[in-house]
Amino acid sequence: MKKTNIEPLVNMNVNPCKMCMPMGAVTAFYGIEKCISILHGSQGCSTYIRRHMATHYNEPVDIASSSLTEQGTVYGGERNLIKGLNNLIRLYHPEVVGVATTCLAETIGEDLPRMIHNFYEEYPEYKEIKIIPVNSPGYGGTQFEGYFRALHSILENVDLQTEKNEKINVILSPMSPKDVRFIRNSFRLFGLDAIIFPDLSDNLDGGFSDKYERLPQKGTSLKDISLMGGAKVTIEISNLNMADSPGRFLEKNYHVPYERINLPAGIRDIDRLYEVLSAISGRPVMESVKEERSRYMDAMVDAHKYNGEGRAVIFGEPDFILATVRLCAENGIFPVVCASGSVNGDLKDIVEKEIEEMAECYHIDRYEIMDDVDFKKIESLAKELKANILIGNSDGRRMEEELKIPLIRRGFPIHDRAGGQRLATLGYEGALQFLDEITNGILSKKETTFRTIIFKEYYKEKDCPEAKIMEYQDFAKAKREELERKTKNHPCFGDCGNGFARIHLPVAPKCNIQCNYCVRKFDCPNESRPGVTSTVLTPMEALEKYKAVKEKVPNLTVVGIAGPGDALANFEETKGTLELIREYDKEVTFCLSTNGLMLPNYANELCDLGVSHVTVTMNAADISIGAQIYKYANYNGMKLEGESAAAVLMANQLSGLRMLVARGIICKVNIVAIKGINDAHIPEIVKQVKDIGCFMTNIMPCIQVKGSAFENLPTICNKELNELRNKCSGTMKQMYHCRQCRADAIGTLDQDISIQFAGCNGIKGKDNKAEAFYRFAVASKSGIIIDQHFGHAKEFYIYEYRQKNVNFIEKRSIHKYCEGFEECGDQENKIQQIMKAIEDCDGVIALRTGEAPKKQMESKGIKVISTYDIIEEAIKKAAVAML
Amino acid sequence: MDSIRERVLDKYSARVYKNRKDHVITLDSDKPNAVAANTRAIPGIITQRGCCYAGCKGVVLGPIKDALIITHGPIGCGFYTWGTRRNKAFADEVDGERAESYIEYCLSTDMQEPDIVFGGEKKLKAAITDAVELFHPAAVFICSTCPVGLIGDDIHAIAKWAEKEYNIKCIGFSCEGYKGVSQSAGHHIANNQLIRYVIGVGDKEPVKKFSVNILGEYNIGGDGWEIEKLLKRCGIEIVSVIPGGGSYRDIKNAHLAALNLVQCHRSINYVADMMLDKYGIDWIKVNFIGIESCKQSLRSVGEYFGDEGLKARIEEVIADEVMNIEEDLAFLKGKLKGKTAALYVGGSRSHHYQMLLKDFGMKTVLAGYEFAHRDDYEGREVIPDIKPDADSKNIESIEVQPDPKYFRVLLTEEQREALKEKGILLNDYPGMLKDMEDGAIICDDLNHYETEEFLKILKPDVFFSGIKDKFVVQKSGILSRQMHSYDYSGPYAGFRGAITFGNDLFMGLSVPAWSYIKAPWKRVPNIAGSIGGEK
Repeated sequence: MKKTNIEPLVNMNVNPCKMCMPMGAVTAFYGIEKCISILHGSQGCSTYIRRHMATHYNEPVDIASSSLTEQGTVYGGERNLIKGLNNLIRLYHPEVVGVATTCLAETIGEDLPRMIHNFYEEYPEYKEIKIIPVNSPGYGGTQFEGYFRALHSILENVDLQTEKNEKINVILSPMSPKDVRFIRNSFRLFGLDAIIFPDLSDNLDGGFSDKYERLPQKGTSLKDISLMGGAKVTIEISNLNMADSPGRFLEKNYHVPYERINLPAGIRDIDRLYEVLSAISGRPVMESVKEERSRYMDAMVDAHKYNGEGRAVIFGEPDFILATVRLCAENGIFPVVCASGSVNGDLKDIVEKEIEEMAECYHIDRYEIMDDVDFKKIESLAKELKANILIGNSDGRRMEEELKIPLIRRGFPIHDRAGGQRLATLGYEGALQFLDEITNGILSKKETTFRTIIFKEYYKEKDCPEAKIMEYQDFAKAKREELERKTKNHPCFGDCGNGFARIHLPVAPKCNIQCNYCVRKFDCPNESRPGVTSTVLTPMEALEKYKAVKEKVPNLTVVGIAGPGDALANFEETKGTLELIREYDKEVTFCLSTNGLMLPNYANELCDLGVSHVTVTMNAADISIGAQIYKYANYNGMKLEGESAAAVLMANQLSGLRMLVARGIICKVNIVAIKGINDAHIPEIVKQVKDIGCFMTNIMPCIQVKGSAFENLPTICNKELNELRNKCSGTMKQMYHCRQCRADAIGTLDQDISIQFAGCNGIKGKDNKAEAFYRFAVASKSGIIIDQHFGHAKEFYIYEYRQKNVNFIEKRSIHKYCEGFEECGDQENKIQQIMKAIEDCDGVIALRTGEAPKKQMESKGIKVISTYDIIEEAIKKAAVAML
Repeated sequence: MDSIRERVLDKYSARVYKNRKDHVITLDSDKPNAVAANTRAIPGIITQRGCCYAGCKGVVLGPIKDALIITHGPIGCGFYTWGTRRNKAFADEVDGERAESYIEYCLSTDMQEPDIVFGGEKKLKAAITDAVELFHPAAVFICSTCPVGLIGDDIHAIAKWAEKEYNIKCIGFSCEGYKGVSQSAGHHIANNQLIRYVIGVGDKEPVKKFSVNILGEYNIGGDGWEIEKLLKRCGIEIVSVIPGGGSYRDIKNAHLAALNLVQCHRSINYVADMMLDKYGIDWIKVNFIGIESCKQSLRSVGEYFGDEGLKARIEEVIADEVMNIEEDLAFLKGKLKGKTAALYVGGSRSHHYQMLLKDFGMKTVLAGYEFAHRDDYEGREVIPDIKPDADSKNIESIEVQPDPKYFRVLLTEEQREALKEKGILLNDYPGMLKDMEDGAIICDDLNHYETEEFLKILKPDVFFSGIKDKFVVQKSGILSRQMHSYDYSGPYAGFRGAITFGNDLFMGLSVPAWSYIKAPWKRVPNIAGSIGGEK
């Protein structure tokens, strides 16, 4: 079993996927007209942030610092800040000054509002200048939180007018100047008077002009901000529904109606934007926009086949991730890893909701959505989950280099490419550019590697040696001889009483048809006929039993699976049993009996499992006769009755037998002779199976079982039986020595010694504490970690704990334990099915378990453990606790 | 007296003017040229300076490739020093295996609010544990950011604990951002700890007769590699480079070299001085930027060792290198001669690059340092005159004693005298000003506002500075070349490097984009023809 280390590095961030709060705060201030910001702290903070912003935006970035020194940290930094404000205002003549704190200021507990108050007192000539404080300790969050905190603070500190106006507030999540321009132009296009807040589109992506302005001249003006309190409506563009967002603030305090829309990157969200624009403006969507949409649509279709192979890693700020996930999902690009450096509790839920269905449809069983994560983790996940495209900021470049996966650069910062400020993601045109880049990223990798990959995958020199005819003939001959030998040494297929022994392993309790002569019993040592066993074994127990018997019965040549239900109605168990035994014993003959209903489904797999002898019980070759024998058949979730049941069963028996014969399997057909029902029809059945190429038929008498529908029918006597057999022997080989054995028979046909081995099934008793043996059922999606709710589990991993060793036994499907839609139809019964599936376990380990099932299980003595851990670790801990 | 200065400083308040005027001078060889330096930046004026942490972690320690540096603090500072200086490093081959290099990593304890309130020592210890398990480094450096000093986490005690617990070298650097007045404080702190805990730890003797350390070379754009190549061609062994492309593995043996070559005086002079006191190793100030400087630097090394064979090899290398670039040099001289330049870089590049500009016949009209001290401008002879202030007193200055095992003196007094006569300065730096011409302007801690004003007045052809001022310069229609990162280019050191530099400069000045700045409709129309029905 694969082991993965899931211990996160909580104490050290290796290659951070986040920046600090002041970075976000000053970014927001860059969207305000004639505003300049000053950081209260060491001058390094300003310098570093300027350096990072300038490299990304390719623009001058002016951020002042109060340049606190050791003295300031001891005596407080008020003097520095006041001096700084004075100098800054004198040189830059701003209308707004943003003052953001840093780690240093927050740690020494600086009181910004008081200092600003004192500044106004000292310099009354500057009272018209709006100074806005923001508390942004570097340790309080990331740039994403810092950005919103600054917006919030601006709204709190500017005097908002409540008088109603016709403006529309448009509040933006962090986005590139290019995208801000798109939003601004979209509102203009619909004739809407929008206040874009903040509007950093010109200040951080300016042109070349004759005169250099050191103070940002564009952006949201103070006057516009003051009108936000009386606006018609607030449109907040963010995928996160934040309780304290700027839009919510305006709604709560100024009763401005609030509407949130997602970042318009995916087609649904762009459509929504235009829907909203059209609704507010009362104007229809323009032709030009419709044309853009149609081009976008066309491109989506054109690129779908490349995008369909996309396995993306999306990282960065939460909003960026969410918008990109929606775009990817619409285009069939599966986000295998979504990772944000910010702490954000909603991220996982929102992304999961978006991609859950897609994961199911694509059969992707593992994806990771994480917040508070570093690049070390992202890189290891990208590798593990076989991503082929990375989407995010340029800090992913090391990952790009290491994993050789293309990085599509978006978000902040972009430090290794020009034009980070002009990257588009929004609107039909922007998103299309983004999508084209992603598609081309996937393609660029494919174009350069696909020939080699295909060549390596499909054309291996060692796989294609020249065919050697002689060898093949030898091989076929050896196969044939082996089969002949096995047939000879088979107590049923070989000659009567040849002295070889067989073991029937009762691993298949369920049956998918109801024959009118049959009642299945599970714990009856005194009755001997098909359908009866004293116990039902799991595959592991069956192996143990086989080992025990083989040791004592050296002439054991055959392992048969004959119920007590139908071997193929319990295919997982049948398969599991045969695989385990084949691993232990390469030689033993595998034999199996079935009613044939599921035979076409499994015939090929049976051959692959090494089954060489199959018996199909076929009581009719005529639908009307069959309808008298079979009460119903449960087939693919449908309950068939009467002639339809008989028709499906017969058709499947015949086609299944044809498949087996074609692959060289020795087939026997059992026919239960039921007096007055099918006895006259039997020669016809024999003829039909002879034509198919079966090896022999076995006509046997119907045993009257109390409680069955046929309990009162007369029995066919031995004389009549033998006459029938003789009559048919002209058509094909007949079996005369059938003993109609139990489903757990052991020994030669004449001497059932199964009772001697009762209890030899590996279960040494649950109470044997010294042995410390427990069986656990584990609910897991991944198969590595316990990560599933009890009630959600569709299957359970069965593990055994034995003397400190943990062994995986098998996977059990819940629906396999459901015997037809009558039982499984409603939800109530689901718990019952689960219970049935795992009732042989000592404990159940799941992520969480509801109260009701917990009580039910505990009443049955099954311990319920809730944990999140690696499976093996959890089992060890649970077993120790149970000792 | 100084009209340009007055025009630039005109907008300042009286108090700011008073402060700034001593930092700005016009060179006049008839007067004493004193430049105020290494004093506090004025709050609110957008200084280009960084902080103490930047100088320590970002500058001096960052390039040491096999030391794992953990930034102890909230996430920002660690993030901002992640690969942002373009110093280059390749993992060495040691005993046929690739040695560790952590140059692409950024490790931070990512302190959160509770860590600030309850202390971060526990987290730091756990981080070191994680780091040791993940990377198995030989050396771990812990660098503090602002809050750490304030909340009183004892990183030095933790370093000691880690050394004992994991049998590694672990050193704490208390380089909180608020210490000192600029990056310079951080250089000093890093220098102190390197002397205390790293240099002198090793015992690998150099193999060759002539061995040196290269101090204060940061391997920006591969400069260090070019310098190493030159020295190796001359038959000189390089024991260690501190720090560009260097390693803890080599630096611990630095005390076994015969001579220290100091490239950047500001950031590493403490190490050079203390190695002189502790191990008796002399240092000479070199400059491998510029063709003539390169020649002079190599010849000084030859003279120091006084070996005729070595001197002959040096002449041979010089002749060969010069021959290779002669043609290019002549071409570039033709293109660049007479162009004017302004330089504003850290603590030595403003000096070094003037020498290279002179090789091309260019003129420096303005030069300034971001975080230099007066001795970097005026020469070390002013050191006794520099009065320590509150800020400089806060930075620990350590006294070292001669090392009983390794102290040795290579030259006799007579040999020293002889060198002096030849003009080879031992353990001294004469400063930038002496290499400059009268009329040039010196401006210490040139801020954003002054940059703009100077550009308007001086209109240099090119401004050499960093990323923060780059865009102001470009928006003024003036070529900007980044001297901190070389804009992906380099190396600029050595003879070949000079040509690379000249080519970059020529390319920048002749980029067609400059000629389109003025849109055609802003010029006088000169369309031949007529409009409408006019004839």
